[in-house]
Amino acid sequence: MSDNILEVKNLKKHFKSKNGTLHAVDDVSFSIKRGQTLGLVGESGCGKSTIGRLILGLHQATSGEILFNGQDICKMNKKQIHDLRKDLQIIFQDPFASLNPRMSIGEIIGEPLLIYKKVKRAELDSEVRRLMDVVGLSKRFINSYPHELDGGRRQRVGIARALSLNPQFIVCDEPVSSLDVSIQAQVLNLLKDLQAEYGLTYLFITHDLSVVKYFSDKIAVMYLGQLVEIAESDELFKKTVHPYTQALLSAIPAPNIRQKMQRVKLIGELTSPIDPEPGCRFAKRCLYSQAQCIGQDLELKEFGNSHFCSCCRADELLNTTISK
Amino acid sequence: MNRSKLLEINDLTVEYRTDDEIVYAVNSLNLSLHSGESLGLVGETGAGKSTTALSILQLVADPPGRITSGEILFEGEDLLKAKKDFLRHIRGNKISMIFQDPMTSLNPVYSVGDQIAEVIYLHEKCSKTEAQQKAADMLEMVGIPKDRYDEFPHQFSGGMKQRVVIAMSIACSPKLILADEPTTALDVTIQAQVLELMNDLKVKLNTSLLLITHDLGVVAQVCDRVAIMYAGEIVEIGTVEEVFEHPKHPYTVGLFRSIPALDEKVDRLKPIKGQMPDPTDLPSGCKFHPRCPYMNEVCTKMKPAMTNVAGTHIVNCLIHEGKLDSTEFMEEVNYVR
Repeated sequence: MSDNILEVKNLKKHFKSKNGTLHAVDDVSFSIKRGQTLGLVGESGCGKSTIGRLILGLHQATSGEILFNGQDICKMNKKQIHDLRKDLQIIFQDPFASLNPRMSIGEIIGEPLLIYKKVKRAELDSEVRRLMDVVGLSKRFINSYPHELDGGRRQRVGIARALSLNPQFIVCDEPVSSLDVSIQAQVLNLLKDLQAEYGLTYLFITHDLSVVKYFSDKIAVMYLGQLVEIAESDELFKKTVHPYTQALLSAIPAPNIRQKMQRVKLIGELTSPIDPEPGCRFAKRCLYSQAQCIGQDLELKEFGNSHFCSCCRADELLNTTISK
Repeated sequence: MNRSKLLEINDLTVEYRTDDEIVYAVNSLNLSLHSGESLGLVGETGAGKSTTALSILQLVADPPGRITSGEILFEGEDLLKAKKDFLRHIRGNKISMIFQDPMTSLNPVYSVGDQIAEVIYLHEKCSKTEAQQKAADMLEMVGIPKDRYDEFPHQFSGGMKQRVVIAMSIACSPKLILADEPTTALDVTIQAQVLELMNDLKVKLNTSLLLITHDLGVVAQVCDRVAIMYAGEIVEIGTVEEVFEHPKHPYTVGLFRSIPALDEKVDRLKPIKGQMPDPTDLPSGCKFHPRCPYMNEVCTKMKPAMTNVAGTHIVNCLIHEGKLDSTEFMEEVNYVR
């Protein structure tokens, strides 16, 4: 088996809408090594959640391949997708909307075990209790309903449910965005511990760059459906190449008064992903854009240390203005 | 600093009563704000930040909410005793509010320009045309071209909508702006633009700002002073230098440790253990004691008092009162940052 548990190749997802075709994901390729975490970052509407859903087979890709352990998810039928879910799970963003309000915590965590006949009914209760223990949920909640729990605990239920089938890969779609900072840190630590213990691989989707740096081995930055930069996490923060990544990093307000924002300015606002012009979608907001940025297809180029960037002026920019 | 106090909140207590329980949202809160100053009010969900802001404008829904004691002095006048007419004159005029979600705080069936003009027309004795003219100027001030005056909220992006709300809030040159999580619903790059705009306007108009947020980063960029709230109380207050460089309350220290830093490599976060307390059944003594790593028996019985530790830096913790000896904590605190 290859080193990469997941390989995404030239993935595209277009949605038809009244006003034209919405290019949610356009020609995105990346891979994730077993046991590692890839952070997928970008602003709302850039297609990060769509990628997560495509990987789970919740959307049909328009074109491209998603190889999970060498098998193409896009070509699977319903039965195969059903089997795949044993190895491939998701933790959703909103722990309020992703738990069935009419099921007790015990039933929610136990449901996948029953569907996949992983345990006998007699053993179900003890397995559910074990899972609750793993995620740090007190067992007295087993007969509680989701509305009785706060956000942090609910998210733990979601994690226990995702873990119940002992998956190899978990898509974490903004798992801590709706939580308070002190609770957020608890959940992040839990996810890290679980990864170490079970050798899990994560695709960690988020808009919060400080969280992603703490959590990921590798980070991929998206802008309007395109992958603009991908690199090892430390490398990306040390040597930021793409103008969008720079703007994104500089926009984070640091909780440090000695470090006032030195913002890399962007022009205007997010453009529409409906029927975009070919070429770099960031060009219209980019300070460095030139005629060459529009029209030609994007290509990820390497800048050493498996650091890839799609900016066609990256070489020049690295040598002149941006080098830190 | 010899500036007059614009807003002074003394001993404010707000409760929400339901049939079978009482939620203690704000408990004997004291806070003051000078003119031209910006204060960040930081805390987690349910800490009572928004209730505090709503109390200032008397917008707490009653029932179930009820302000049971305290006074809120605005320019020397107690708003809690004020007549309805006076409050109507204050709201949107001398004190205005920016809400968290720009999608729901604008009326979808009026054009954005007319929504801004309405505030001006109501508070300033002017004709409708003058109000419209001024509303158009306000749009320009927040960076939206005048020709979008007649457009409707759905034609704007989230960041633009929040700019419209900001334009509305500054339209009558208020003395005080209450901003309740103004950038939480926005993307980081847009958030940065809005924060920059607010910083500019603050300087230009010399208004005071009460900024409610859970994001310490936003406070560091915008505010002069910061107050940390926990379970309806202020646990620490001081200038941003004092609180960010020398946090003294175990809760504040825990908050800083929960944020993954961008500039250093951390292997593991050190979060605060446990959950927020149930506001219907708050702990005795210090409200933070069940989650505090340094708690002692005395913390369960005795309520801490506000203690001045340095300059304007005030902390609500028994350790700093000298009621509890914790060399371990003092060493930690002096080590932090």
